[in-house]
Amino acid sequence: MRKDGRLEIKLGIENRSKERVSLGMQVTVELFGIPRARAGVAWTVANGSTLGDVFLDLAKRFPDLGEACLQGRFLKDGYTANLRGEQFVTDPAIHLNEGDSILLLSLDAGG
Amino acid sequence: MKGTQSCSCRWTRAAKFKGPRAEKNSLMHPIFGYHGRYLRVDLSTGLSTEILLETQLLREYLGGSGLGVALMLKEGAAALNPLAPEAVLAFVFSPLVGSPLTTSAKFAVVSKSPLTERLNDSLASSGFALAGKKTGYDAIVLVGRAEKLSILLIDEHRVRLESAEDLVGFSNRKTQENLLRRFGPEFQTATIGPAGERLVPYATISHDGRHAGRGGSGAVLGSKNIKAIAVRGTRRVAWASPPALMSLAKKLSKKSFGPATAKYRELGTASNLLMFNRLNVLPTRNFQQGSFENAAAISPEELNVTRDRTRSSCAACTIGCEHLYSLKSGDGSVRLEYENLFALGPLCGIDNAEIVLEATRRCDDAGIDTISAGGTIGFAMECAERGLLDAPWLRFGDGNALLRSLDSIVSGKEIGPLLAMGSRRMAMEIGQDSIRFAPQVKGLELPGYDPRGLQMMALGFAVSTRGADHNRSGAYEVDFSEAVDRRNVGPESAHLAVETEDKAALMDSLILCKFLRGIFADLFEESAEILSLVTGWEVTAKELRATAQRIVTAKKRFNILAGWTPSEDTLPLRMLQNALPEDSESHLSAERLASLIKAYNLARGWSEEGWLPLGQAASLPVG
Ligand code: SF4
Repeated sequence: MRKDGRLEIKLGIENRSKERVSLGMQVTVELFGIPRARAGVAWTVANGSTLGDVFLDLAKRFPDLGEACLQGRFLKDGYTANLRGEQFVTDPAIHLNEGDSILLLSLDAGG
Repeated sequence: MKGTQSCSCRWTRAAKFKGPRAEKNSLMHPIFGYHGRYLRVDLSTGLSTEILLETQLLREYLGGSGLGVALMLKEGAAALNPLAPEAVLAFVFSPLVGSPLTTSAKFAVVSKSPLTERLNDSLASSGFALAGKKTGYDAIVLVGRAEKLSILLIDEHRVRLESAEDLVGFSNRKTQENLLRRFGPEFQTATIGPAGERLVPYATISHDGRHAGRGGSGAVLGSKNIKAIAVRGTRRVAWASPPALMSLAKKLSKKSFGPATAKYRELGTASNLLMFNRLNVLPTRNFQQGSFENAAAISPEELNVTRDRTRSSCAACTIGCEHLYSLKSGDGSVRLEYENLFALGPLCGIDNAEIVLEATRRCDDAGIDTISAGGTIGFAMECAERGLLDAPWLRFGDGNALLRSLDSIVSGKEIGPLLAMGSRRMAMEIGQDSIRFAPQVKGLELPGYDPRGLQMMALGFAVSTRGADHNRSGAYEVDFSEAVDRRNVGPESAHLAVETEDKAALMDSLILCKFLRGIFADLFEESAEILSLVTGWEVTAKELRATAQRIVTAKKRFNILAGWTPSEDTLPLRMLQNALPEDSESHLSAERLASLIKAYNLARGWSEEGWLPLGQAASLPVG
């Protein structure tokens, strides 16, 4: 657990259901590729009722992630997000529901 | 054959010219960026001929894949058996090879594929491209068959064969080490392994650990009795605007250190694995599932903790996407890409990283395409589990069975001859409706993108001239964007598949590495600037769009001449009948795919079924 009371899950080993300390709506953020490398965690719980809010929250708590992948309420070029493993989203105004999961990933898929 | 023949000799010639200069074509116009000629070697007769390339042809087809298909059409290669002596195999360079532009040291290998019987263009990188272009030719075209296994040496203006009988059965690695000792470091070599010698239709051509991998160009070279090509030269081409080109190259290199390529630099392509798994588009156990329960065990995230990792790059590249992982056996390290990881891992149900790495090493050494090898073995595993194939030892998840299968492909023993056919021919041999789950389009095994959950890619796979392929169609980029609902793509979006295919055709012909594509705000606009600085032509984005479309159309023309019919633009029946078990929304009906294909064909200006209008066909090169 971090000093600020948030629970960080290192590579999915800890169980996120143990603690939910933040106020407001919470969503799960799953990180892949560079976002994961910069944040140092595979996933985390973040606050926000819109995508942009969640990005702000993430940038505050994970400065390296914020610097590499986020610009305020927006994603930087080269990164994208996906809602619930279904729909790709980038608009910071998109409204989220309690318990949503957001995937944060590097844009190019080719290999 | 059309073209201006400038000079012919048997096995050696001496047309001497040295130093950077603007070559001249037959009309005596200077050509910057090109030599304006190609070398045609007849391995049966020993006759090597310099053939001039008209400026118009170069401008219309650029180089790499584009110039390659133009040469194939001129040579009348579509009608030939790809493994017959008269078949044509071209190593094609490009106007950017040898320039200061990052990722430009690449070459294309173009022929008719023995696996698909359709056009095959595969690309590889590095020193062979640089040395090959310095021989003084924009392409090296091989026809005929040497009497015995040989090495073809092209030492600038001298062409000769040397016996390779002492190299029979040698792996790519050992062959390249041997040739380095024999000819010295100035020669760059492209080789085949034992799979190419055995004419396995998905054998590769290898250079310095990289492969022109898909579609069996290694078998075509093997059928010509050529174990290796060694090239050396000193002839450089001039660029039209060197200072401006240098400055643009610097800018491009700087951008290549930015966020758009960070994934490739820091993690490599293998980092796709967990993301694809999460989205349920990671082909597992011969496409029976879209996620693999043990993906984490073989992920680069895990390997980075448990193994030594080194990075490498092709010559003249500032990105360096190659990540090599050590084998626990102590037998060196292995280049790991997403495609070999998925094909030799989840596709065969393998969750043992050491096995995946060892299987990759064996494929590299033998010279076989990892995607087709994994796809064919995964298919065989399902056939065995369903009782369609009498091989009780062949089971998903059994690492030893995977390695035994790979060895059998190379040795031609046990089940090897069957596996060496590739999944389509193997399904025809097995019968019992197994073709409905053979993971192939036009005979080429699918790469690691489940088309049910990535339906723009499904369209890309179905219509690609090379068969199921992620390099000639980057349609997955659209799936990974807000432009479409990836599990419910409609025909109104088909033009986006056209756009990504055109971009790939341009990059494969210029040639620039596709991992650079993220740094361009407008690929066509910026490529026009690059090409203008190299060649001195006043190229526009509009012209390059037309060029890309022409190249794709020329590939289609080749396939039509080779016997293409609309029925082959499709996907395996399994993928059109069954949704992904993890995600019922990932369902692609035959009707929807048909509507996408129709819209794609119309967007290309072709008939609904995909035939070319007379005017388009008439404007293409003819033999
Ligand atoms: S990005 Fe990778 S594949 Fe492309 S040129 Fe560089 S090292 Fe080679």
